[in-house]
Amino acid sequence: MSEVKQGFGSTAEYVASEELMASVNVAIALQKPLLIKGEPGTGKTMLAEAVAKSLGKKLVIWNIKSTTKAQEGLYVYDTIQRLYDGQFGEEGVDDIARYIKLGKLGEAFDSEEQVVLLIDEIDKADLEFPNDLLWELDQMEFYIHETKRTVKAKHRPIVIITSNAEKELPDAFLRRCIFHYIDFPDAELMEEIVKTHFPDIEENLLKNAMDVFYWIRSLKDVRKKPSTSELIDWVNALQIGGIPLEKIKNELPFVGVIVKKDEDLEAVRGSVM
Amino acid sequence: MAVCGKAGCMFGRFFDTLKAKGLNVTLSEWLTLQEALDKGLCGSSLTEFYYVARMILVKSETEYDKFDLAFEEHFKGIHSDDEITSQMLRWLDKSDMMELAHEEARDHLNRMEEVQIDKEDVEEKFRQRLKDQDSEHNGGSYWIGTMGKTSFGNTGGNVGGVRVGGTTGYQSAFSVVGARKYRDFRDDKIIDNRQFMQALRRLRQFSTKLDIPKTELDINGTIDKTCNNGGCLQIVMEKPRKNSVKLLLLMDSGGTMIPYTTLLNELFQSVHKSNHYKDVKTYYFHNCIYSKLYKTPECENGDWIDTEWMFRNLDSDYKVIIVGDAAMAPEELYSTTGNYRGPNGGLSGMDWLLLMKKHYKKIVWMNPKMAPGHAPWREAETAIKNIFPMYKLTVDGLNQAMVKLMVNK
Repeated sequence: MSEVKQGFGSTAEYVASEELMASVNVAIALQKPLLIKGEPGTGKTMLAEAVAKSLGKKLVIWNIKSTTKAQEGLYVYDTIQRLYDGQFGEEGVDDIARYIKLGKLGEAFDSEEQVVLLIDEIDKADLEFPNDLLWELDQMEFYIHETKRTVKAKHRPIVIITSNAEKELPDAFLRRCIFHYIDFPDAELMEEIVKTHFPDIEENLLKNAMDVFYWIRSLKDVRKKPSTSELIDWVNALQIGGIPLEKIKNELPFVGVIVKKDEDLEAVRGSVM
Repeated sequence: MAVCGKAGCMFGRFFDTLKAKGLNVTLSEWLTLQEALDKGLCGSSLTEFYYVARMILVKSETEYDKFDLAFEEHFKGIHSDDEITSQMLRWLDKSDMMELAHEEARDHLNRMEEVQIDKEDVEEKFRQRLKDQDSEHNGGSYWIGTMGKTSFGNTGGNVGGVRVGGTTGYQSAFSVVGARKYRDFRDDKIIDNRQFMQALRRLRQFSTKLDIPKTELDINGTIDKTCNNGGCLQIVMEKPRKNSVKLLLLMDSGGTMIPYTTLLNELFQSVHKSNHYKDVKTYYFHNCIYSKLYKTPECENGDWIDTEWMFRNLDSDYKVIIVGDAAMAPEELYSTTGNYRGPNGGLSGMDWLLLMKKHYKKIVWMNPKMAPGHAPWREAETAIKNIFPMYKLTVDGLNQAMVKLMVNK
């Protein structure tokens, strides 16, 4: 976007499409969380790193797992430590604040400078998880019951949330976000991406590898389509292995790097014949 | 383009168009868009407006297509005449370029030597068309001009996977709209296994809210209470969180359902992979439910259970999904001897269905080839629709059905 000159742009390691850059900058300008969805391996997580780097801000990552609860992001009350201390008559057991540890969200709020907060793979958590964070992400504050303290963001963090679309996210949550869907990169963008990883790659090798890669992706009976990161690994393997160019298409060397399932491997080999 | 200037009237109607296309845009999102316009975030180009509006108003790639349609409908008449737009859009229809791209991919692997030529050929064709288009319709309006020059000239119009020259740049709004590249993401399409599973995940009811005994130790609660109690142990118990949903899947098998075998197989797999139910039972039937239900999809005589046994043993809390095309002759539904494969049990198919409805609180019927709207010519289907809520077997349909199974009324 021409208006947001100082905003986020592609970095040496990360190639962002114009639309993606625009959505990052719009999200920053409107102070809303940016929700990024896309196929695995389209660089959702790397985006946050790139944003942090290009804006020169610290990155705080909150990895979500299926067992993660919203509360953990805010703060954890270490009751067990308190129990231990209580048993041995340690000093300050009655001071609950000693046993309150801020989570990643709390850390981002409490930081002295603006940070980039990545909430990674939010869809891994329980269905209600995003709803439990609505107030905190809207108001950028939360209340610690045990100590009656309110943690308020000193500088509104730039919030980037990624999702693999494993679960539908609640509407109330979606309404508050700026949404961007990362399309699978087309050949041209892909070439650029691979070249940021291997600046000296031989044109023909790359071209052959990409042809095979997109061909495999276009096969209907391949269940797990290879992703960007797998292409990068494969190109790397081809380079290291020093495979003659003409073999890449005929023999599909190291194809296990991009096709991981047995059924898919058969499908690929079957189609070559 | 004075997009921002005309905010009041022009955008109000765009909001209505979006609603009319089935996008659930809320007022708060709309106000966010106004804020973005206020801050000048979409500059003064329609293309930038397209992207900013989309990222604020649309929250799922499955709805991009609806947005594209609404956008096209609303903005196409503004600065150009419709004819050129629709012509451009027709031209943009990606299907035949897609084919070319596929052929190209095949060729690459089959005939190595010709790869270069092939690809050039495709690109040449593409350029040629582009040129023709340009000379015919140039000098038109603002964005047709833009399209001709920006997107297709050099700076990266991506149509059907063939990108022509240039650097990565915005695709003009209309090339995106016209390509309808998000059509495949629409959630009213027929579904695959994974999407089935996602839909089935909606069937969750954690039983902490139900009336069951507190059997699990609440560790945090216990420690907290104990600490407050000066170190004397004080136990706190809580209710376990478990999914209490029980599922009964009844599938039509054979005959008219054969074209949908793969689809049914996917559904079956998904139900069994979603192992978070308290219990899952699957039985099969042929065309309609009568006095016997089969244990296997082959529906062989003898390998069955009594439907009445099922009523006795699977209580009314089971949520029932019946899958079938509801395509049968009227006598199969209404006659007490209508079952040509097995016993009727003295009742007509209709009576058995009504018994099902009486016994189970929650039943939905999934139909892979349901007629849209009112379809009186499909007699059996219409009759069954009157008994059970019927949904088409698509992502949308399954989601709606799952919601139906979960709501109380």
